[in-house]
Amino acid sequence: MIQKSINGILGIFTALLIGAVMMLAQGFDPLATYQSLFDFSLFRSSSLATTLKNAVPLVLTGLSASMAFASGVINLGQPGQLLIGALFVTLGGLYIDLPPILMIPFLVLMAMFGGALWAGLAALMRRAFNMSEFIVTLMLNMIADFFTLWAITNPLKDESAFSAMTPPITRSGWLHEIGAFNPSILIMLAAVAGMWFVFNRWNAGYEWRITGQNSLFARLGGCKVDRNFVSIMLVTGALAGLAGGMVVMAGPHRFLRGLGANYAWDGVMIAIVANSGLIATLLYGLFFSIFQTGALGMELITNVPSEIIVVLQAVTVLVIVASREYLNITLDRLAAKRRARERF
Amino acid sequence: MTILSGLLRGMISGATPILLAALGGSFTFYAGVFNIAMEGMMLTGAFFAVLGSYYSGSWLVGVLLAVLGSLLLALIFILFAVVLKTDEFVTGIALNLFAVGATTYLLRQIFQVKGVFTHPGIHPIPEIHIPLVEDIPFLGQFLSGQNLIVYVAVLATLISFYIIFRTPFGLRLRAAGYNPACLVSSGVPTNHIRAYSLLICGVLCGLAGAFLSLGYVNLFSENMSAGRGWISLAAIILVNGNPLGLALISLLFGLSDGLGLLLQSYQVPAQFTSMVPYLATLVALFFYARRGRRKKRFEVI
Repeated sequence: MIQKSINGILGIFTALLIGAVMMLAQGFDPLATYQSLFDFSLFRSSSLATTLKNAVPLVLTGLSASMAFASGVINLGQPGQLLIGALFVTLGGLYIDLPPILMIPFLVLMAMFGGALWAGLAALMRRAFNMSEFIVTLMLNMIADFFTLWAITNPLKDESAFSAMTPPITRSGWLHEIGAFNPSILIMLAAVAGMWFVFNRWNAGYEWRITGQNSLFARLGGCKVDRNFVSIMLVTGALAGLAGGMVVMAGPHRFLRGLGANYAWDGVMIAIVANSGLIATLLYGLFFSIFQTGALGMELITNVPSEIIVVLQAVTVLVIVASREYLNITLDRLAAKRRARERF
Repeated sequence: MTILSGLLRGMISGATPILLAALGGSFTFYAGVFNIAMEGMMLTGAFFAVLGSYYSGSWLVGVLLAVLGSLLLALIFILFAVVLKTDEFVTGIALNLFAVGATTYLLRQIFQVKGVFTHPGIHPIPEIHIPLVEDIPFLGQFLSGQNLIVYVAVLATLISFYIIFRTPFGLRLRAAGYNPACLVSSGVPTNHIRAYSLLICGVLCGLAGAFLSLGYVNLFSENMSAGRGWISLAAIILVNGNPLGLALISLLFGLSDGLGLLLQSYQVPAQFTSMVPYLATLVALFFYARRGRRKKRFEVI
């Protein structure tokens, strides 16, 4: 645990250092830049609430990827599942109107259903035709991307809008801020807690984890590996879909072009840095959100383009993962040397 | 007739970037590197090609810079995956995202634009007209007048085939993937072979990227590789990395690209026609999986 935290902090620090060198090379002042970055994401009034709200899709897609990777399922379809989840919420919000107390749970279910449906399609192809889920989910991402784009430019288009977007969903489906904080944060925390509970307290979660660590052992031990595969795909798809739903319900309240942004791929990166740990996913998700939320403020104050954040994120991931694995190898090597010395 | 020739021309130019990237990937595939960074390498190549062509006024410099940019990514891959032993999958994903971020950042920093950079000052890679071949009826229009990189891709296919299957280096390359311990015990460090394979992949992906931004179209747009690296990965899996098989399967994907363009003229929404290559990949995977299963059944018997 301590080793993990040290690793994470060192990695983040190194990435910030590399970022600083990059900024210096282009004549920007790194200290002022970082100051405005953290200022705008943490210390201004209501900026903490924004950071938390922006963390919701990151953490949920990260959670989806973490669960999948920890269970040995290569579900890289989060971007597509997120979009389809968002599309389902939009559909529900456009054509059905219930009082908020019913509408919000209904839309949440719609989002999860949409994501699970898209992931289920990949699971079906794997189970029925033995097609590798790795490539299938990637291709389905592109297809979902074009499909949703078609949906919002043709049948669902808001005629009064200039660019491709749907009309806003019914008001009772909006997640309004309570104080400064958006209720989607609570839904995110509930999802993390629920998944933690499933993973660590339920038989199903135990089977999934064991399958991820050693699928042969799991099968010999009596786990239904194939059936588990489908349920993992459905659950992780539902999580990614939920992320899309939250983006619509808490944010623009409609499906507009580029809605998915880079949330899902960032989520995959978060899962990778977190080594598929659920709590670590939450923490790194928050951290990525700090970067992304602060980026806009940073651009306003210092002229450093906000895109540099994407570079910083990738560097952070590489440094943390590389140092973690290299550290493990070094520790193993030292242990092996010690053992060799004891023997002779 | 014009429909058919348009379709075939679209097929060739659609196949070229996929083929080049897949050839690069086949080297790493044989060397036992799970390389999924083709997407990022291609994107970096595409950006640097435009950069070089715009500032020097020469497409050659553009191509050179594209190769260098893509090689830089390959070097980072080597540093992390080969030297520091980071998981290859993780390195690949992070590098792909790094490429997206870095090119968008540089696009904004250097050209002060968001999204798309297009300018008459970007010199495209020329088309090559072969004097006599040009006059062959029907076939002449495909054999001649193609972009230079198309011919390079054809050459690269043959050379790759020769290198992988007919040279000592190719033998070592395949050994690095097939049985690394054996290779090491005969005195060849696996890591060196893997590093070489990644460098070759970098060069080929750089060419693919240069074709995208200086041949296929004449501009750079954010994330313009648009999943072609993933399609090339699927192609490698489908034919087990064999360069000649890659050429065939890339043409198939190219055909679906051309088909998409054709369908557009029949009032099919552009979003659906853009889906065609990805759907084609799924269909190809479907047939591959079925063949694999039948093979398995034979093995059981």
